[in-house]
Amino acid sequence: MSMAIEIDDLSYVHKGAQLPALERVSFRIPAGECVALLGPSGAGKTTLLALLDGRIQGWRGRVSVLGAPLNPDRPPPRARRPDTGFVFQEFALVERSTALRNVLNGRLGRMSPFHAVLGSPMAHDLDIARTALADCGIAELAERRVDSLSGGQRQRVAIARCLAQEPRLILADEPVSNLDPARAGEVLGLMTKAARARDATALFSSHQPDLARRFAGRIIGIREGRIAFNVPTSELKDDATAELYRGSGPTPELGPRAVL
Amino acid sequence: MMAPRDFGGFVTSSLIAIAILWSLVTTDVELSRLASAGPRITDFIGRMFPPDPTVMTEIKKGSAETLRIAILGSLGAVLLSTPLAILASETMVSRAVFGPVRALLAFIRAVPLILVAMLMVGAVGLGPLPGIIAVAFHATGMLAKFYAEAIDGVSRAPIAALESAGAGPLVRLRHAIWPQMAPVIARDTIFRFELNLRESLVLGIVGAGGIGFYIQTYIRSFQYDKAASVTIAVVGLVIVIEAINITLRRRFT
Repeated sequence: MSMAIEIDDLSYVHKGAQLPALERVSFRIPAGECVALLGPSGAGKTTLLALLDGRIQGWRGRVSVLGAPLNPDRPPPRARRPDTGFVFQEFALVERSTALRNVLNGRLGRMSPFHAVLGSPMAHDLDIARTALADCGIAELAERRVDSLSGGQRQRVAIARCLAQEPRLILADEPVSNLDPARAGEVLGLMTKAARARDATALFSSHQPDLARRFAGRIIGIREGRIAFNVPTSELKDDATAELYRGSGPTPELGPRAVL
Repeated sequence: MMAPRDFGGFVTSSLIAIAILWSLVTTDVELSRLASAGPRITDFIGRMFPPDPTVMTEIKKGSAETLRIAILGSLGAVLLSTPLAILASETMVSRAVFGPVRALLAFIRAVPLILVAMLMVGAVGLGPLPGIIAVAFHATGMLAKFYAEAIDGVSRAPIAALESAGAGPLVRLRHAIWPQMAPVIARDTIFRFELNLRESLVLGIVGAGGIGFYIQTYIRSFQYDKAASVTIAVVGLVIVIEAINITLRRRFT
């Protein structure tokens, strides 16, 4: 079985920081799996995901994404970037543009440079964008400006943009942390369902064990930059998650290691 | 013993009182002149009525010239402000660059338009050209600052998101940066154009072209009824400009 993510002995220290954000991290994720990265705030989840997206340089170790090794000194070539989609914690949408325009922005890396600069999508791109909006349950919001949408609707636009990119790997950074529990389950459900329907591998981070259990086939626990456990969801013990959150309050503060 | 806050308030009130008294005492305000001014003001206003409607041609000519000065002056300001705004933006250049550029813009803003116009009349002679140059120069002080703020107000996150999706620098500029900046720039430019139009109405008084020229000419030659017509036209123009501007600005919020 081919591997979507292969990490060997990865360590990374933020510029100017004392403690490492990631320390001797190793794991593999086979293509097509849906995996949750579980851990308290400041554990290194965002750093790890951004690194896999090719946005962090200066690390040590060996990392391969979708079979291609990442270079620790420079971002991956632009042609490879659309294969890895990213759902940002704070959405990272263009507020004044419509939902459809934002979702089409996910197509930009797949369009010819000429069409991308002009911003004139082909019928094919429009189809994909509209399907992504429909899969996220917001087809009727296509023409609404993002700054007029609620937090939950924005989150769906952000996921739709990622889906429109047609990624083979979806990285999602706390994709539902801004939503109430009922909406969180709903949105995470449609995201993981859309990933499965597209045969894409999904790795999402969360600080909520119950959400991880509900939607992931495998759970990787991370604490203080180290892998605490890496088990199939059915084998996850309650005391393992309790240990993960030992010493951190019920509402974890943003630690100094949290970036973005 | 007074509390420090009360003391500060006392000092402020005293300073204001001293400033008013000083102005009253040292300015040669002959109140007696006001008493005898009644008949003269009546006479002055009487000579303005009825406003002479035969100056319609001059009003049209003058308004058209004022409009041209405002349009070309605004265009000049936009062209000057674009590079200056980049140099005045915190996110594009280092403090060593944006600090001095912002100080220069503050200096430009501090010079009144009418003063720049007088200097330009001296430099290039009478007519609309000194007016255009003066408007372009004066407006750049504000517009470049506004543009710089538009640049600095752009959120970084969507740019990073587009880069992650594989978009190149030009595509990011077009789809992540420009959509955030364009409405702000449009609104600021319209706002500045309105000010330019309004301020250039009086430029003619110092010989820098436009409708103000006729007000000055008619008052100097004691044709108050004609001056009254032009003044009414100016007030009308300001109201029209403001109405158009309110409608336009609503579109860019």
